[in-house]
Amino acid sequence: MAGCGQALTDSQAVLKDYFLENESLLVEETAVEAVDPFDKMDCNTDSNLMEEGPGKPVGLQIPEKASRTQEEEGTEEEEEEEENDLGDPAVLSAIHTAQRGLKSSSKLKASNMLGMSPVSLHFLCQTMDYFSPISFRSTLPSASSPARHFGLQLSSPDPSLFYTLPTSRPLRLSLPSHRTQLHPQHQRILQKQQQEQRCGPKHQSSRVGKLWSQKPDPYAGLMNQREKDWVIKVQMVQLQSENPQLDDYYYQEYYQRLERKQADEELLGRRNRLESPKLVTPYIQKAEDYESVVRIEGSLGQVAVSTCFSPRRAIDAVPHGSQEQDTAIYNQKLQVLYRIEKMFLQLLKLEENQKGKLAKSYFYELQSKQLEKIYQALKTGDEDNSEEAANGLLQVLSVRKGKVLVARLLLLLPRDQAVHLVLSITSHLPFLIRRDTADQALHMLFKPMGKCINLLAFGELLQGLQGLMVLQPGSQERPITVVLQNQFGISLLYSLLSHGEQLVSLNCSLKQHSSNDLATWTDMVVLIAWEISHMATASLAEPLIVPSNLLSLFCRYVDKQIVQQLEARMDYTPMATS
Amino acid sequence: MNYMPGTASLIEDIDKKHLVLLRDGRTLIGYLRSIDQFANLVLHQTVERIHVGKKYGDIPRGIFVVRGENVVLLGEIDLEKESDTPLQQVSIEEILEEQRVEQQTKQEAEKLKVQALKERGLSIPRADTLDEY
Repeated sequence: MAGCGQALTDSQAVLKDYFLENESLLVEETAVEAVDPFDKMDCNTDSNLMEEGPGKPVGLQIPEKASRTQEEEGTEEEEEEEENDLGDPAVLSAIHTAQRGLKSSSKLKASNMLGMSPVSLHFLCQTMDYFSPISFRSTLPSASSPARHFGLQLSSPDPSLFYTLPTSRPLRLSLPSHRTQLHPQHQRILQKQQQEQRCGPKHQSSRVGKLWSQKPDPYAGLMNQREKDWVIKVQMVQLQSENPQLDDYYYQEYYQRLERKQADEELLGRRNRLESPKLVTPYIQKAEDYESVVRIEGSLGQVAVSTCFSPRRAIDAVPHGSQEQDTAIYNQKLQVLYRIEKMFLQLLKLEENQKGKLAKSYFYELQSKQLEKIYQALKTGDEDNSEEAANGLLQVLSVRKGKVLVARLLLLLPRDQAVHLVLSITSHLPFLIRRDTADQALHMLFKPMGKCINLLAFGELLQGLQGLMVLQPGSQERPITVVLQNQFGISLLYSLLSHGEQLVSLNCSLKQHSSNDLATWTDMVVLIAWEISHMATASLAEPLIVPSNLLSLFCRYVDKQIVQQLEARMDYTPMATS
Repeated sequence: MNYMPGTASLIEDIDKKHLVLLRDGRTLIGYLRSIDQFANLVLHQTVERIHVGKKYGDIPRGIFVVRGENVVLLGEIDLEKESDTPLQQVSIEEILEEQRVEQQTKQEAEKLKVQALKERGLSIPRADTLDEY
């Protein structure tokens, strides 16, 4: 045993050199103890599997155990030999004995000492052996058995172990070619197995699955729960964010939709609501930010500081005053863009607040204040002259982004302000249409404006329509001709007329509207009808929506001839009616 | 999924048999034993499977530690369905030979193509001179 023990200690030392820092002697002893089963079994193993001749079991301390293991070895050997293509009988037996609790405690102790699970210990031995079989040999000249048993712990674990039956060999391995670096033992075993299997019967593989489920995986659990939790912890850290709505928008949206759907389902009566698990990402407070480096707005990177060691000119990156006095067109355009940007940022913040927070009165007040701010900025309300104010709005609307801004803003504004905006747009429609030829983006205003139009009072409506009919100074034609030739314009017009018709027909008692208003209304309708009928059909734009009540409206006020022409024109519009 | 609902994680795949496709085109089959936050994999009882046409051959490789960035995809192998495949398993030598033959034919075809293009004054940049992405 002494010699064996010595050999084992040496191998243990080698093990340590490779992987461990643990230097307690206790380890050695327990490890030696733990490795004992290998020794015993190995010494009794079939000589075929060994390089050197079978040695006598060196130091059989515990005869009973040895005999027991010998028995087990005997029975197991056969099945294992057949079973293991790339063979690891020693390990397997070791495992089985360990499982039977022979030296389980010591083995565990050893592995715990070494800081790993018993399975890892096996692994370690295997890998160790694979990498340095020669070194083992050289350090263990004396005892052949330790070398043997470590040699037996062959590196290439058996891939077919878990998916073949004892007597089946779907894997037909010939002698490995020079490409595969196999351990000589390994090769020998392969050869042997091959020979055996050539005469062995083949089994169906359908039983494989069943066998797999019966056989416990001895290598399972290499990654223990602590390690798994650690990986998950790292992954969770990556998910930390101050603003999950922003950083993890898609998942949050998805989960909210899922919840809403489930809530609906529950409402419909499906009582057993399946709680879908939610990933609770850690929400962290924004850390205190501090500028560690001096930064000047507009400079590139760090500011060069002059010190006595590096007298360098500091970057002069201060912006040169305000450019409001500059009347160059370029600057004006920049101004408009700048205004739009500012308003857009405010709008976005507003929308986000609306989406996030519940409708509490406090927030509502805050929102309306913010909304007012944006509206004022849009109108450039600080100017007294209404022309100037309108000008500001029109400049904003001339830019595509401005149109988007107004479209989104219209949905949020209170009624009066929205109406005011709509009326200003309609009164300057030709101008806007002319400016829009490049972008063709007016249509995005249609939907929000349509919503506002339905809120218009009769008087306001008339105001809007009149704006269209006013003869512009300096031109012969009315704005309406331009309007009719533009898709947005004609759609808007139709919506206005439709709404007017609704208002008039709903309020059957004529006392609702003043007679003046009605007269104006009639005039408007007639004029518009006339204009439409006298416009070449080809130049009439296709409206986005053709309201259904228009034709009846025209029928009432206009004579038959014109109605016919109107019919012809309006029938050309194939789009669905509202 | 019970660890991190709504996310993809390899934790549930541990100790199961997987097929891993690497960026260099190799196919590895092994038991996934360990992972880390970069999806580096430890494969146990790994077998490198070479496919040529309808044939395949397995080369036993032992334990593999694969760096996460080299993995194209991986998927669990259903042990029961694993064996019903129309593919035919052959020995290692045979499959390597088949592979060599396939490579050769491919190279020859490529050479012809390049020659034809050269005659027309065109050229196709070779994959190995291109960036990987």
